[in-house]
Amino acid sequence: MLFLTMLVLVGAMGLKTIVTAHGDSSVIMANGAGPAPQTPYRNGAGPAPQTPYRNGAGPAPQTPY
Amino acid sequence: MPGLLVNILWLIGILGEAAVVVCAIKKGAFRRYLLLNLYMAGLLCVELVRYKIVSEYGLKSTQFIYFYFYSDAILTIFLYFALCTLYSHVFSEMKAERYVRMGALLLLAGTALFTYAVVMQSTAKLLTHFVIELSQNLYFVGLILTYILWGAILKLRETRTRLIQLVLSLGVYFSLLAVNYAVRNLYPSLSSIFIPLVQLCGIFLPMAWAYAFWHLPEEARLVPARLAVIPR
Repeated sequence: MLFLTMLVLVGAMGLKTIVTAHGDSSVIMANGAGPAPQTPYRNGAGPAPQTPYRNGAGPAPQTPY
Repeated sequence: MPGLLVNILWLIGILGEAAVVVCAIKKGAFRRYLLLNLYMAGLLCVELVRYKIVSEYGLKSTQFIYFYFYSDAILTIFLYFALCTLYSHVFSEMKAERYVRMGALLLLAGTALFTYAVVMQSTAKLLTHFVIELSQNLYFVGLILTYILWGAILKLRETRTRLIQLVLSLGVYFSLLAVNYAVRNLYPSLSSIFIPLVQLCGIFLPMAWAYAFWHLPEEARLVPARLAVIPR
């Protein structure tokens, strides 16, 4: 059982790596048909900000992590 | 506020989610597929609250961003358990419910631990980062589990039409989102086309499930493609 579980987890993470290989760290999943916002830890032009609402209106950079 | 097209697609999605619950109740399938229907009912409520937040605070507001991701994580966990109940339905004749439950909990715990191990390096917004990453990882676990269930349905020559429709549409939904994401990152110039398609994918699942509950009776059966020939 544990082996099967780990196998599924490894497969899922492998698939995630393939699908998001060229990704811009945006979020893939979407429950429902509404528009998806940016992740809160992607905003701002400088180093990682403390809170999302402190960021300016500049373009969103890649996450430092 | 989002544009007119976004709002129209969003409204169709909300109506589709309501249609699933209504069709399931009307056809007496609500309790049989309880978690599936609870997921849809929960999604409907969340979508309505999201719409209210967007109309009050705007699409880029902190309120919407945090509500979106935290509610999405809960919904993804719900969807994961709903998928596990589909496993229970497929393997019902083998009396494997206990193993499915154990495996589901083990896999959820493993995914949560793996996610924590990945995000613990992050110093800022650890909880938010964890919640979003957990949703992402559970999404891919759900994708793999759906493919395995597809294989099991083929191997066991499952004939229950409604169950097959529910599982297949879930697999198509997961796959569409993954393909959409991969293609739009491979070809960023086509993002303007592929980003709105995510909304169409969001409409697909409730429509397919509503169709399954409304048009396909529980006792409907498919004829297996290959009949076994037993020599005498």
